[in-house]
Amino acid sequence: MTLTRRQLVVAGLRVGLFVPLALRARAAPARETAERVLVVLQLTGGNDGLNTVVPHRQDAYYRLRPTLALPRSKLHALDDEHGLHPALGALQPVRDAGRLTVVHGVGYPEPDRSHFRSLEVWHGADPRGTPHTGWLGRMADRIAARSGGMPALCVDDGELPLALVGERVFAPALPDESSLALATLPGLAAGRESAGTVDHDATGDLAFLRAAARASYEAAGRLEQALARGSSADYPDSPLARRLRLVARLVTGGFDTRIFHLSLGGFDTHAHQAAAHAALLETLARALAAFEADLAASGAEERVLTLVHGEFGRRAAENGSRGTDHGAAAPVLLLGAPGGGGPRGTPPDLNGLVDGDVPFTTDFRALYSAIEQDWMGLERTLPVAPFPLR
Amino acid sequence: MSAVLRAWRPGPEGWDRSAAAHLLRRAGFGATPEELERALAEGLDATLERLFEDRTPPELDGSIQPLLAAESLELLQAWWMARIVAGGAPLRERVTLVWHDLFATSHEKVQDVRLMHQQNELLRREGLGDFRRLLQGIARDPAMLVWLDGRSNRRGHPNENFAREVLELFALGPGHYDERDVREAARAFSGWGTEGRSFVHAPEHHDDGPKTILGHTGCFDGAGALDLILAHPACARHVARVLLEAFVVPAPTQVEIDGLAGTLLASDWDVGRTLRVLLRSELFFAPRARRARIAAPVECLAVASRALGARVPPRTLARRAGAMGQALFRPPSVKGWEGGRAWIHAGHWIARHNALVELAENAAVSCTGAEVLRDVLPEDPAPLREAVERLAREPSSEPAAIALVLTAPEFHLF
Repeated sequence: MTLTRRQLVVAGLRVGLFVPLALRARAAPARETAERVLVVLQLTGGNDGLNTVVPHRQDAYYRLRPTLALPRSKLHALDDEHGLHPALGALQPVRDAGRLTVVHGVGYPEPDRSHFRSLEVWHGADPRGTPHTGWLGRMADRIAARSGGMPALCVDDGELPLALVGERVFAPALPDESSLALATLPGLAAGRESAGTVDHDATGDLAFLRAAARASYEAAGRLEQALARGSSADYPDSPLARRLRLVARLVTGGFDTRIFHLSLGGFDTHAHQAAAHAALLETLARALAAFEADLAASGAEERVLTLVHGEFGRRAAENGSRGTDHGAAAPVLLLGAPGGGGPRGTPPDLNGLVDGDVPFTTDFRALYSAIEQDWMGLERTLPVAPFPLR
Repeated sequence: MSAVLRAWRPGPEGWDRSAAAHLLRRAGFGATPEELERALAEGLDATLERLFEDRTPPELDGSIQPLLAAESLELLQAWWMARIVAGGAPLRERVTLVWHDLFATSHEKVQDVRLMHQQNELLRREGLGDFRRLLQGIARDPAMLVWLDGRSNRRGHPNENFAREVLELFALGPGHYDERDVREAARAFSGWGTEGRSFVHAPEHHDDGPKTILGHTGCFDGAGALDLILAHPACARHVARVLLEAFVVPAPTQVEIDGLAGTLLASDWDVGRTLRVLLRSELFFAPRARRARIAAPVECLAVASRALGARVPPRTLARRAGAMGQALFRPPSVKGWEGGRAWIHAGHWIARHNALVELAENAAVSCTGAEVLRDVLPEDPAPLREAVERLAREPSSEPAAIALVLTAPEFHLF
């Protein structure tokens, strides 16, 4: 291990947990952008882009993938040249509603094939450096400075992803609806109130613990209210779908979180990929379709943008084990982006591979810039011009 | 001996409930009410001796075989938690956890509970002995050879994973070696692997050519590379820092580190003898060291359940510790648990709160909030005491009074 994901986490914790209520400035951003929500769904392990958005007019595709190539007749048409994997059928209504955007060939210069390093690049948005904060955490810092609350949530178990680490704000983990459900006993809350009303001159770790406990109790209370108000639509039975349902309930229940981070693992398909990859994409498509339907039924779909990406695509040629190894660029999916959906960016040319990989044609930071500036209404901070979403 | 480690000579006032609880909490996993009273009555020296005892109930040793046969990590976690809560070998279990955090190996990759148990027994057996033996042992430990890919490190196809971590994390720390040392040490370790669940040295995979490691040139093998690392002055300081951080203060000073490194070398790398000096030093009992660390989940639950005399199944405790961010045998990475403030995550605070409320609910027949407050927070923060007293006027609120103590932020500073 080179760096120190957990040192980074601590760097994010250094200053404190949540912005105290008293410090919240009420400067008003445009109401529209201030209510917008970003959902980032990471396909961990590196999704096989060529078998997700299939360039079925290119003969090279069939040549490079003697056993893994998907037959054109089974694909869901995206445009004349490209079709979606057969297992992505559940996304058809999303596409018909103009809410599915596919951005071809997203990556970054001098791609790194290490899962760890490439995730660090995507999370930190600093391909040459060793970032200690993430792009979402840095946005959360600025949202918190403006309007307080709990700007970001990690709807996942396991470690906090670097993407969510900020300088000031700490994104709590909320893997399921019960994880912030508070056990209580008669008299306990009142006792806590009375013990806590005296103004202790706490400093250091004790002050930190007090702030953390207070923020947690407060969040648990507000969360309960939001969950009670939020929608209760049906979802498929998968962990990802349950987590997306939790996001939808919080968004529709009026919880103030603007950034949600989720992940779906298992995309590191080095061997016997076909069935496993199809199952993953089906899980993904069905969960996203249910999420979109839920948001639309609640009238919240205009407020929610979902970004689906992995740390890299896979090599263009299949390997000797009917799988694919770590590659470079891959398509990114956006759900709910303004502009009416459809394919965007420059599609991969399989006769122009670099080191056997699809080279990037869109820098992922251009998408981040567009999201930061045009979707979240924040000042742009990355050195790459925004990708034109509209 | 270094002045910072001068032996503490408490007067009759000094060895009070707070000092005794501090020693038992840090060097072991807290005390039952009876153990705490005995410590107060017997004094510092006798209490320290008891911490070194090895009286783990024999049935815990006997239960391991059927439990391993079930191949369940959860049962192995419960087994270790049972040893911790049984309190028969307080300091030995404590150092086992310290070394597990240093030589952090996760079942996540190893995927074999027998190997995880084997490593745990190595840490327990050697944990209070000669650190050189411990390091040589962990380098040959099959779980470690799987975890850091030592078994695929072969002549001509080096894998640097173990070599890098032994230099960076286990023994020296950044700044005391360079990339060349990593590469050359990896060559020295080549040929060490596993056969079944045993360590094996395969000469045909060993690169026996000359290497230069930490400024020394020769045809070193793995043992030789470890000897060079151990002989580097940064190594004793590294181990001293680990012990100070685990037992005394989160950020020891350079003087303290140098002082304890001197003790370690003077005792010929004997961890037990070094701890005997450290745990009765003025430094250990100084105000700066008291309530100076945020409790880790395992110690938090163990100390609470022992103070309450709560009979909670160890399996439940181990599971709750996992929800609080410390699943035994599953550290998040080779760096171990970050610790400190990283334990407190909004979701993790709720998990902590919930686990402790559950303990309080189960314990309310055996003790009162006032007793728990006296034993786990002898420093007696007044607003908390008043709130506990108010609750205790209503007998039905006794569980809430206990829960109030255990969920008070003050209790979470160890």
